[in-house]
Amino acid sequence: MRSGHPRRLAAIALATAWAAFHIPGTAQQLPEVHGNFSADGQYYNDDPDIGAVPPPQQWGFNAWGNVVMTMGRFQAGLRLESYEPSLLGYPAGTPYKGSGIGYRYINYHQADLDITVGNFFEQFGQGMVFRSYEERYLGVDNAMDGVRVKYRPLPGLYLKGVMGRMRLAFDDGTVKGEGLVRGADAELSISELDSAWSHNWNLILGGSFVSKYQTAASQLVTQPDGSVAQLEMPANVGAWAGRINFTSPRWNVYAEYAYKINDPNRRNNYIYKPGQGLLVNATYSTRGLGISVGAHSYDNMLYQSARNAPTPFDLNINFLPPLTKQHTYNLPATLYPYATQPNGEVSYQGEVFYKFKKGTPLGGKYGTKIALNGSTAVGLDTTGVDLLTDSARTGYRSSLFAGNYDIDGKYFTDLNVELRKRVSETWELALTYLYFEYDIDVIQGKPGKPLVFADMVVLEGLHNFNDRTSLRFEVQHLWTKQDLGNWATAVAELTFSPHWFVAAQDQYNYETFGSTFIKDGKEVPAERTHYPIGSVGYIRGGNRFQVNYGRQRAGIFCVGGVCRQVPAANGLTVSITSTF
Amino acid sequence: MRSTRTLQALALLLALPFAACDKVEQPYETVQDGGGSGGGGVVRKVLLEDMTGHRCNNCPAAAAQATALQGIHGENLVVIAVHCVNGFAAPLPPVGDGILDSDHRTPEGTAYESAFGITFLPTGLISRRPFNSVLQISDGDWGDAVNAIIGDSTAFHLWFDALTVGGGSVSTTVKLALLGPVTGDHNLVVALTEDHIIDWQIDVNATPPEVPDYEHRHMLRGNLNGTWGVPAIVGSAAAGDTLTFTYTNPLPGTVLDPDNCALVAYVYDAATKEVMQVEERKFQP
Repeated sequence: MRSGHPRRLAAIALATAWAAFHIPGTAQQLPEVHGNFSADGQYYNDDPDIGAVPPPQQWGFNAWGNVVMTMGRFQAGLRLESYEPSLLGYPAGTPYKGSGIGYRYINYHQADLDITVGNFFEQFGQGMVFRSYEERYLGVDNAMDGVRVKYRPLPGLYLKGVMGRMRLAFDDGTVKGEGLVRGADAELSISELDSAWSHNWNLILGGSFVSKYQTAASQLVTQPDGSVAQLEMPANVGAWAGRINFTSPRWNVYAEYAYKINDPNRRNNYIYKPGQGLLVNATYSTRGLGISVGAHSYDNMLYQSARNAPTPFDLNINFLPPLTKQHTYNLPATLYPYATQPNGEVSYQGEVFYKFKKGTPLGGKYGTKIALNGSTAVGLDTTGVDLLTDSARTGYRSSLFAGNYDIDGKYFTDLNVELRKRVSETWELALTYLYFEYDIDVIQGKPGKPLVFADMVVLEGLHNFNDRTSLRFEVQHLWTKQDLGNWATAVAELTFSPHWFVAAQDQYNYETFGSTFIKDGKEVPAERTHYPIGSVGYIRGGNRFQVNYGRQRAGIFCVGGVCRQVPAANGLTVSITSTF
Repeated sequence: MRSTRTLQALALLLALPFAACDKVEQPYETVQDGGGSGGGGVVRKVLLEDMTGHRCNNCPAAAAQATALQGIHGENLVVIAVHCVNGFAAPLPPVGDGILDSDHRTPEGTAYESAFGITFLPTGLISRRPFNSVLQISDGDWGDAVNAIIGDSTAFHLWFDALTVGGGSVSTTVKLALLGPVTGDHNLVVALTEDHIIDWQIDVNATPPEVPDYEHRHMLRGNLNGTWGVPAIVGSAAAGDTLTFTYTNPLPGTVLDPDNCALVAYVYDAATKEVMQVEERKFQP
């Protein structure tokens, strides 16, 4: 067989590609190309005072660029990634290293049918049995690699089917986990299905089923008496969920229940107890008033596509949304953030937002906003079942919403109130008080550490000097007698629109006003540590450049109730983002 | 007609994955009671590097897993506990209070941490060969990863021909015989480990979790011939070749009891870092 001439082969390939994108009736369409780029580099200094140890390379560098080409009904995308090496503490789970292709797909959309081959992100309902997503700055990416089909056979009826394997790590390209994930979802929107239904009110019903497949190898486990048992692992582990969502102009009520069949894995000590979860949220909003309440309970619901996934951040098939407020102020957000405990949690939240109107005694000339929020999370009240005598290896008995409200069962409490008021044409102030109870043992994996009781006050201000220049500042203080003791933080950001900004921040961990501090039950001399950092940024069009220099304390970085440890660092950080 | 097709499509879509759900009623297959496996001839042994730290609260469970696997595989599985990752292995401030003050890290361990991208614990390297596409292997997968290698035929026959300990130093002769032709550069490393070290460890399953008298096993104290060893095969070697390596080194200053020490020799592929053969010799058999 003769091999073709290279030029001829190239011409054939081009023609084939053109034919693939050449849709009758859309001959005049030209492809559109869009994308973005992001790079974060950090030079590390040695700083023993804060425990900052540079990597051997002295540098960390994360970068990625997305390119998406759209033409008619077709879309193709590609993301190139580089970790040479990755920033310290990044990603949350199994390491990324090298450079290569991290994500690529082809999508075809016609009328009611949508097909994606390659990588994709998808979610069923709130994600209790399936959510494939990424948080790039957290280092969580469980992108599917396979096939997704979405179809709308009737107005208001949405069907989805997915199949593929999930991203686990990166080593000059995506490394996939061994588990195969299959799933289907159906959703029915009554108001779209039945034109007689009021468009102001809607009822959405949905159901999902997901199954993972992993070779049914036997598993060695160490028993409580030191003996070693060999367990039969299920190859296919299924989970299903049902949901209902009622919406009206003022109300939004959502409930979802999920159930998972026996899923022995490393993080539940290879027990065969089924998992289940229920979440309920209700919000009411009207002009100037918003109220929301929510509750959920999760029991043995960690669901990973590999039963021995290296870390809890890897290969998660589902996502269990948190109820606790995701704070943005530095101290509450990075010192004591809450992360969902998938294998056993009961949580409640309530929030009220109210705006006092202009011209009222409390509203004043510009109006006043107040937000009250409270949430709590506790462990499940469980009764252990002896693994040595229980042939079914169920591990424990429990019931949804039967929480352990003793002090040793408490995971987290957050009570906070925010008062926000514009006081003049040029000044706006916000005052926030927060009270936390935080089980650092369970949430951050520091066994034996006592529950942290913390009070925080934050004053935020914004002053507009003119239309182009503004100053935003924060003054924060945290009081606690546990963990690292007291903190004070000051932040100032000066913005010269539309291009420049400069910022300075100092975090001061002084533990206590006295000369000694009780740490781990022992009285030791109080330590005083500053964490100063300065930033300069330039923005032009779709491009943003930022340079930081200073200390970064060890802490927790969270997105959506998923958190990773950030190690202490000292050095120079350069960030570039660009969109086109 | 359209609604019938829709219902059929819906039923098919939803029914497909329902076939994929396995309920296990009685999960126990067999219970191992320990005891090593015998077997003659030269077979491939496995090196399990248990990456650990005294502040890693889940590491004792991983160490128990390593011990359980040694109970099954006997001398064919060699374990080295490598204390690394500063956040887990560094002394716990305030240093001087006697709690978790020891520093079990080694320059070799720190180099392995960097070279193999160890950022979280516990994890392990099984003969430094990827399992399910990753090198850092969860302790739950150690058994399967070991099974995938152990007992395979091998071209490398490695043994300690001599061992002398005294006067604060150790002398040894390691021999490597090739049972088949080998291509590619290979290095030989001789590591020194110490067993039965009683010291602090955080254990999430203990009450209280700070355990003052935890027994640390197979702790890496240092290498006799550098972090990455010395070249043993350069380019290629023919079957029948026998290579000899002799070392005399002072015992590392961190060694507490020489009677609990052992030497671990291993040969690895310099290109892939995969450990092709490993052998252990205790100072006191």
